[in-house]
Amino acid sequence: MTTIASTLVQRVRPCFLPLAVAAVGGVGFLVSWAAGSWLLAALTIASLGVAGGVCWFLRRRRVRPRSESSAGEPAVKEEVRSRARRAENAADESEDLIEEMLRQGRYALLLRPQIVGNLNEPQVRNALEDLEAAMALTPEGTVLLRTWRATAEHDGDPSDDHVMRVEAFYLDRYPVTNREYLRFVEAGGYEQMSLWDPDIWSGILDFVDRSGAPGPGEWENGRYAPGRDDHPVVGVSWYEAAAYARWVGKRLPTDAEWVKAASWPVGNGGGRPMQRKYPWGDAMDHTFANLWATQIGDTLPVSKLEEGVSVGGVYQLIGNVWEWTHSNFGAWDEAAKRLEIQGAMKSIRGGAFDTYFDSQATCQFQSGDSSIARKHNIGFRCCLGLCDLAPNFAEDWSAPGAAQSEGVENETGALEAAV
Amino acid sequence: MSKNAYQEMDSYRLAQYVVQAPCYVCGGGNVFDAELCRHCSAPMALSHQANTQKVRPQMVAAIGPSGAGKTVYLGMLSDLLSRQNDRMQILARGAFSISLQQATLAALGRCRFPEKTPNEPDRWNWLHCQVKMAKRRRPVELIMPDLAGESLMQELDRPNTYPLINHFLNRCSSVMLMVDAADLEAGDESHDYFAMKIVSYLCELDSRPRQGWPNRPVSVIFTKADECSPSIFHKPDEFARRHAPGLFRTCRERLHKHGFFATGVVGCCAYRNTIAGKLQVPLRIEPRGIVEPFEWIVKQM
Repeated sequence: MTTIASTLVQRVRPCFLPLAVAAVGGVGFLVSWAAGSWLLAALTIASLGVAGGVCWFLRRRRVRPRSESSAGEPAVKEEVRSRARRAENAADESEDLIEEMLRQGRYALLLRPQIVGNLNEPQVRNALEDLEAAMALTPEGTVLLRTWRATAEHDGDPSDDHVMRVEAFYLDRYPVTNREYLRFVEAGGYEQMSLWDPDIWSGILDFVDRSGAPGPGEWENGRYAPGRDDHPVVGVSWYEAAAYARWVGKRLPTDAEWVKAASWPVGNGGGRPMQRKYPWGDAMDHTFANLWATQIGDTLPVSKLEEGVSVGGVYQLIGNVWEWTHSNFGAWDEAAKRLEIQGAMKSIRGGAFDTYFDSQATCQFQSGDSSIARKHNIGFRCCLGLCDLAPNFAEDWSAPGAAQSEGVENETGALEAAV
Repeated sequence: MSKNAYQEMDSYRLAQYVVQAPCYVCGGGNVFDAELCRHCSAPMALSHQANTQKVRPQMVAAIGPSGAGKTVYLGMLSDLLSRQNDRMQILARGAFSISLQQATLAALGRCRFPEKTPNEPDRWNWLHCQVKMAKRRRPVELIMPDLAGESLMQELDRPNTYPLINHFLNRCSSVMLMVDAADLEAGDESHDYFAMKIVSYLCELDSRPRQGWPNRPVSVIFTKADECSPSIFHKPDEFARRHAPGLFRTCRERLHKHGFFATGVVGCCAYRNTIAGKLQVPLRIEPRGIVEPFEWIVKQM
């Protein structure tokens, strides 16, 4: 009963005033009819019509939201104000996001042509400073790549060598460290499928540490061992390295890029470029690189061994850890002379702390491992093509277009064969 | 008229041939200038060195089926320890002791595996060395031959086919038993059976509870561990329990002093098709876990 009554009251309330007017009008009509005044009766009917119109109008308004019906012009102002507040919040959020990305070392993403327009000047400056501090530029030019047979078995024919042209690129000065990789793990890198190669989606669950948590194989409970923040991350497969590189807006270097950054070729009048055997020169010095002969028996922090730095300013290209590259193992060998491998094998370069022979830790020496191998001595560093940066920055640093010499292969063309 | 002439009498030298020089391995008599023992084909140089240096070297065997990695292990071990000088050091006795090291390292340096050890005992490489340890005042003299796996298997199946193996294992102080971990992990149980056979053979050879094999140290070395899951290096016992259950139980039951170890010499392998068949090619050399089993053996001796 109470419900019916309240419903009735609710329905009747908006029409209360016009009904009252109509009632008063009706009484007035009857009085004027009784008094014989036709003019007064006509006025009374007109007032009833107005009251009906008002009643209809009020019924229509009742359907609209209360706030608008009650606020009118102030509601519009409120909406404008809330929109402004939202925009302000969005600006704050975007600024926070940019700061967060800079903290995570993802400056390369911010300097992409599609994104850099959203940054203000100080943010661009910060991102550029981070880029310059963390990466070294290698100018474009040619590089000589020898076959595996030639470098490993000392049984190659110089005619099998490849002279490649490489575009200018940035290479990380240091291998990726445990500390840097932890940011990727904590940001949910192992759950963001878009970062991963579709081939490995079904295998990501196997990429766990010793305790079963997502992360490198050498970690435990989602953390690296204490005191190893600045040691290169190891126990990561090629897929994990590629996913991390994507997350920071970079990629893994190709074989040609890696060799170019390490051996720093010097043009030889269009002939075979002259290259260093090691980043520091042609003679091995065990105090410049962490190899088996150095007798350390473990990885070192990535900023150690300054003497072994390359001409471009890249640390530890030789020794400490092998580094994944983007290329396939044995891609430079002739098909007939290629080794038979089980499954996909990716190229690794540089040697590690346990590499026994100096001859297997040169700029040219290539080894390989399964793309899902998670070894204790394989890490990686990332690379960024100059063409991937916003044009304003790229133009400043790119060399004037060099004419392609005869016999020089274009890396982008050969990339399909290598990758 | 006669003239006195002096002629040197060399006949006394023949006396040396009368005295028999015993072989250091089998104890059989040999003429003093024999290169190899006529009974067991062990090099007589071992005997001469023992006599001249007044030391009685102990013997350690590296045994296992063919292809288990005995040659690579011994060659790598001798090279590692001849360069290293903090924990342990090896000093070769005689030029012949360096041959194995030289041949193995020359092959590995060119990303190849050394040639298979021939079955003929007279072509085996022997390593006679002095082992110095940081925490041990007196060095240890050791003799370690590179036995052929196939010969060993034949000797297990038909005892006394190779007297050298029989005599040598009888006199050994300890054994390093090599088992191919990569094949074991791939589910090849034959390696488990081979290893069980070897342990049983040893225990039958000398079953005395104190001096016999039940009380001599045996290190079970899982070779090619770099081709297995990384946990093998942290928990070789667990690997043995899972992938070589027969060997694991046999060791528990019959050997009082045994230890499980994992080693790897090459980081990764590929293959090359040749006329002789598929040839394994090492892609890089990075020794891991080589010294530990040997160090354990020497400490137990």
